[in-house]
Amino acid sequence: MPTSPDEAVRVLAALVESSNDAIFTKDLDGNVQTWNRGAELMYGYAADEIVGRNVSLLVPPGHPDEIRGILAKIGSGELVRHFETVRQTKDGRRLDVSLAVSPLRDAAGAVVGASTIARDITARKRDVERLRESEARLRSIVDAAVDGIIVIDSRGRIEAFNPGAERLFGYRADEVLGLSVSILMPQPDRDEHDGYMARYLETGEARIIGIGREVPAMRKDGSTFPVHLSVGEMTLEGERKFTGILHDLSTRVQMEDRLREQAALVRLGEMAAVIAHEVKNPLAAVRGAIQVIGNRLPAGSREAGVVTDIIARIDTLNQLVKDLLLFARPPQPRLLPLDVSLVLEATAALLNQDAAHAGMHVTISGQAPPVMADAELLKIVFINLFVNSSQAMKGHGDVEVTVAAGNGACVIVVTDTGPGIPAAAREKLFTPFFTTKSRGTGLGLSTVKRLLEAHHGSIELESPETGGTRATVRLPLANL
Amino acid sequence: MSVIAVAEYPEMSPQMAEKSPPLQVLVVDDESLIRWSLVEALGDRGHRVDEAGDGASAVNLLAGGRRFDVVVLDYRLPDSNDLQLLEMIRNLSPDSTVIMMTAFGTPEMVEGALRLGAYRVVPKPFDLHDMARLVAEAPRPARGI
Repeated sequence: MPTSPDEAVRVLAALVESSNDAIFTKDLDGNVQTWNRGAELMYGYAADEIVGRNVSLLVPPGHPDEIRGILAKIGSGELVRHFETVRQTKDGRRLDVSLAVSPLRDAAGAVVGASTIARDITARKRDVERLRESEARLRSIVDAAVDGIIVIDSRGRIEAFNPGAERLFGYRADEVLGLSVSILMPQPDRDEHDGYMARYLETGEARIIGIGREVPAMRKDGSTFPVHLSVGEMTLEGERKFTGILHDLSTRVQMEDRLREQAALVRLGEMAAVIAHEVKNPLAAVRGAIQVIGNRLPAGSREAGVVTDIIARIDTLNQLVKDLLLFARPPQPRLLPLDVSLVLEATAALLNQDAAHAGMHVTISGQAPPVMADAELLKIVFINLFVNSSQAMKGHGDVEVTVAAGNGACVIVVTDTGPGIPAAAREKLFTPFFTTKSRGTGLGLSTVKRLLEAHHGSIELESPETGGTRATVRLPLANL
Repeated sequence: MSVIAVAEYPEMSPQMAEKSPPLQVLVVDDESLIRWSLVEALGDRGHRVDEAGDGASAVNLLAGGRRFDVVVLDYRLPDSNDLQLLEMIRNLSPDSTVIMMTAFGTPEMVEGALRLGAYRVVPKPFDLHDMARLVAEAPRPARGI
C-alpha cells in the first residue's frame, strides 16, 4: 500500500507506464498532452512525436471523426465507456479499438481535458468474425443436410430440429422444440427413452452414443420408418447436450427386403422343383395302382366308392403341388397379342360350369386394344380373382368387370359385391401362404401378383366405401 | 386356388375310344407300381405289355430286335435324366409311338421331347383311362409284313 501521496503518484505512474493499453491525455481541443509506453507500441508514435499534436491524427482518412463528439461529452462531465471504433497507426495499419474516455479536472473541479484508455481489439474482433462465419457455414450445412439433425438436452427435450428432420418426421421445428424427443419414437422406445437416458447419465454405459445403430422412428402421422441413428455428446456452458444424426434407411431396407424376397423365391423355386418330382412320382404310382385295384372291385361296392375317394384326395394333393410350383416357378410367359375381353369371357364361362360358382354373375363391359400376354397364365389370374369374389359372395352375387385403355396399359377392374377385405388382412394380401380361408394354400393372390409382374403388369386391391372388393389389373398394350 | 387348371399339356381327347386292336407296348419306368398299373390297365384292354426298369434295359430290348407299337417312357430314370434316351429309342425304333411321362415337365423339356418326335408328354400323376386312350389313339404307321 502506498504510504504517502507522492508514493501513490509514483505507483500510478508505474502502472500507467507498464500497461499494455494505450493511455494518454488530451486537452479539450484534442491536443495530446501525455502518451504512455502502451500508446507508443499500439499506435507507433513515440511520445515526443505526438505530444502537442491533435489526436485526430489517429483517425483514419475517410473515417468519421467522432473525437469532437467525444470531447463534447467529456466537456459536459460525462464518461465514455466501451466505445468501439477504428484508429490508424503511424505506419498506416488500421486497428479496432475500444475506448474508455474520462474527464480530467483541475483542482477546482473544472474539466480541462480527457484521459483515454484505448485497447486494441483487432484480434478479438477478427475472432468473433471468424466464429460468425464458421457458425454460418455450419448452419448452412446443418440446414442443407438430407439427414435429420436433432439436438436434445440432458432431459431429452428437443433444442434444435433441422430441415432434414422436418422432412423425415413431418413436424415443423416450432412444433417440437421443447418437447421430449421420445415423440419421435414408436413403442417401446417411446416409454423407455427416459430410462435409457437416465441410465446413460448415471452409468456412462452407452448403447448408441458414439456407436450408432439402426432404430425405428415415428413420423407425425404415426407411420414408422427405419433410421440409422448416431449420437454425439457435448457440454455447453456446463450442460450436457446430445446431437443425433438420423439417416433414413427406408429405401435401403425396402431394397434389402426385396432382394431377400427374391433370393427366397429362387430357393423356393429350386426346392419346389425337387419336391414336385419327389411327390408327383409316388402320387402317380399310388394313383395308378389304386385305380387298377378299384377297377377289380365289384362296381357299386363300398370299397369301389372308397377307391374313388382316394383318387380324388390324390388329385387334391397333386393340385396343391401344382399350385405351389406355379407360385414358386411360374413359367416364362409366352407373350402374344390377345383380346383381354375374350379371355375374361372364357374364364367366367368356365367357372360358371362349376356348381360352386354357378351363382356368380359376371358382366364384362368396355374394351381395349390387344395386350401382350400369355392366354393360359392370364386365365389363371382371372380364375383366381373370380374365385376370390365368388367365395367372398358365398357363391352368389354380381361381379362387374370393366376393360379400358389408358397410358399404354389395359386396365381391368373387377368389382364384386362381397363384404370387402377384412382390415386385418389388407397388408398381407400378397403374402405367400397368408389366407383368411379355412382351406387353401394362401398362394392365390401372391401367384397372381407374380404372374402379372412377369407380364410387366400389376395388381392393386382395395375395398371401396361403396362396399365389395375392387381389383385393378394393369397389363401393357401390344405395340401393333 | 383350388380350381387352377394349368394347360401345360395338350388336352387328351375324351372322344377317342379306349378299345383298339391289340398292341405291343413297352413301359419304361423305375417305379414298380407305375409299371404294374400300366401293365394291368393296358393288359385289361387286350394289349401285350413288356416292362423295363431303366433306360439300358429298354435299349437292349429294342436293339435286340423287339418291335413295339407304343413305348411309354418316363423322363427320369436311374440312368437317364435328359432327352438322349428318347432320341436313342427314336433312332432304334422310328416306327414306335413314344408317349413320355414326367413328374415335372418344364415347357422347354416338353417342346424338346415333341421336337424329337415324342407323340405326347403326359404329366404325372395321370388317369389310367386317359393313358389307355392315348395308347389306343397313337398313330401306327402301316408296318411292312
